[in-house]
Amino acid sequence: MKKSWAIMRRDLIKLSKTPALIVTSIVMPVLFLLIFGNSLEGQLKHLPLVIVNQDHGPYALRVMEKMQALAAGPRTINIAYMDNPGRAIEQVRNGRYKAALIIPPDFSRDITVGRIAELGLFADNIDSISSTALQALIAQATAALRGGFVTAREPKLNQIVLRPTNLFVTVDYDRSLIPGVIVMALFMGSMTSGVFNWIMDRFSGVTEAYLVTPLSPWNIAGGILASSVVATTLEAIVVLIAGLALTGGGLTGGPAAIAMLCGVIVLTGTGLLAMMFAMYSRASNPRLIGGPAGFLNVILFFPSGAIYPVESLPPWLRAFTRWNPETHAISALKSVMFKGANFAAISSDIAFLSIFTAIMLVLAGATLKRSL
Amino acid sequence: MPSSSAAIETRELTRRFGAFTAVDGVSFTVGQGELFGLLGPNGAGKTTLIRMLTTLIRPSSGQAFVAGHDVVHAARRVRESIGVVPQALTSDLELTAWQNLDIYGEFYGLPRAARRKRAEHLLEMVGLRDRAGDMVATYSGGMRRRLEIARGLVHSPLVLFLDEPTIGLDPQGRRAVWDLLVQLRSESGLTISLTTHYMDEAEKLCDRIAIIDGGKIAAIGTTQELKAMVKGADRIRVEVAGDAAPAAAALRAQPYVQEITADQGAIVIAASDGAHAIPKIIERLESAGAAIRSVSIERVSLEDVFISFTGRHLREEPGGPAAPIRDPLFAAAQRRG
Repeated sequence: MKKSWAIMRRDLIKLSKTPALIVTSIVMPVLFLLIFGNSLEGQLKHLPLVIVNQDHGPYALRVMEKMQALAAGPRTINIAYMDNPGRAIEQVRNGRYKAALIIPPDFSRDITVGRIAELGLFADNIDSISSTALQALIAQATAALRGGFVTAREPKLNQIVLRPTNLFVTVDYDRSLIPGVIVMALFMGSMTSGVFNWIMDRFSGVTEAYLVTPLSPWNIAGGILASSVVATTLEAIVVLIAGLALTGGGLTGGPAAIAMLCGVIVLTGTGLLAMMFAMYSRASNPRLIGGPAGFLNVILFFPSGAIYPVESLPPWLRAFTRWNPETHAISALKSVMFKGANFAAISSDIAFLSIFTAIMLVLAGATLKRSL
Repeated sequence: MPSSSAAIETRELTRRFGAFTAVDGVSFTVGQGELFGLLGPNGAGKTTLIRMLTTLIRPSSGQAFVAGHDVVHAARRVRESIGVVPQALTSDLELTAWQNLDIYGEFYGLPRAARRKRAEHLLEMVGLRDRAGDMVATYSGGMRRRLEIARGLVHSPLVLFLDEPTIGLDPQGRRAVWDLLVQLRSESGLTISLTTHYMDEAEKLCDRIAIIDGGKIAAIGTTQELKAMVKGADRIRVEVAGDAAPAAAALRAQPYVQEITADQGAIVIAASDGAHAIPKIIERLESAGAAIRSVSIERVSLEDVFISFTGRHLREEPGGPAAPIRDPLFAAAQRRG
């Protein structure tokens, strides 16, 4: 018992010498609670819905009122309006809206004359949580329309039918997680290689041995970064292949899609590795990476749209997702893998990832320079 | 400009860390093909001195030239000209000996064929040819040290720096490293700078030794020269019949006697050159009527020399503040700054 006590004392003394580790061990769980708690809140909110009302008759207005009530009350949806149904559907395809509700020109008349009145719902079914929720919500709203309105002529409101249309090939939930798993693999790779190797080399004296050769510190850092990009890219590609095999099904889009996926993977991996260099290249002990980086993984991953729609996050977290590289990486990967998107469709995500990576490389360079 | 024949030359080389002076105005020259030893206790400043000579840290003042190049203004040329075997074992454990040498060769821009040929030669030389394909993690400490010596030679340097190359090795491992260094000298004429705090190592291997203490060179020379610098270091014990006091009195004023004590039938004489003093002592004692029973001599050791110059044993820690352990990358910035 006394011997264990001595070991315990030793470890506590060592821990007390690393205040950075203690602070991050306290701060990170609090951030974890805030972000994880808000990421999987349960209730969906602020789902972007575009409505194209081609009718303007009384029943179309009733539908619109119901939708506006949902937007104003529980704030389940955020409504935008368009006149052109083709454009609205295109915007859903591009990921701007989760669904487009089309109220056709004869909607009110059909109800009035007792014909079946149809509402069109074109949903981004890649986000199955949002699309299912929106479908249920609109069906509920039209059901309420049936029960809550009685006219002299007693129109046949029970004849309203919601025609949902999935804009993309149906993707199972487990398959929809593949982009998130790829990004997770990239992050894990950035933890276990890259700056970790850099600190280990410094810690064990290898760097000093290298610095008496013609190698410069930049040669060493560049080599470590390059090897880590190769390693994390290969890991992510293996995860992609394994994910596709496990969830059954291949990859559509041919070589162009593969090239885009690889491009996103390389760009994201490089950005995350550079970010880790910028954050940790001055750390004197490899222990300083493990814990905090684990929490960082959670902080970036959950509000990324990998498993839950980012639109439903609270405003402050939603703002964060816009600057979260993993959000853009997952968005681009999902678009290419499941929506058959071309380069133009993912160009905004690529632009963000490129800028993020460039900034992180500059910051990493500045941090390295300070530590050299 | 450095002396044309010098492999290493320092002029008033100084390195300060804040208020602490780790190396204080050190000047010495090492000739080409010489095996030069830096002998000193931990904290004496020898590692700081080596770090300056290998361009890891910049001097605060003074100059140093290695292989004819200024360590500050031509650091890259210096690094191309030197091989370094650091005190810590830094070969990659997950790689084979072959891969370790090959990658190091690439650091120096050696072509693939040259790397292969050189690695084969070096692995043969250090006795690791049969284990060249094994991961270094499976090597003993002595094998790793020999590999690191091979690694330091991969680009055929002009000067090889070894920092405590046998520290932590068993006697067999130490012997193997010594043999290797002797072989290297005789075969290649390489200039070797060896840092050690083992007396026997310095005495056995080095042509010349510099005793460094408190950041300064206390003495420099061959082993014999260093021993000769210690006045009265040879101890001659003469046993005489009867009272030793009259015999001691007969010797006390002689020029070859540095110090003399008498004790119960024996006198102990401290002399600078004991071997030559003995006949004179015997002659003097006999003429004084003393009956000599035995004469023995205890020669001065390098340890005695060291104590004489530093006032303490080699293994004792210095009394002053320890030299700060510098992050090598901070040092790198300084040298590249």
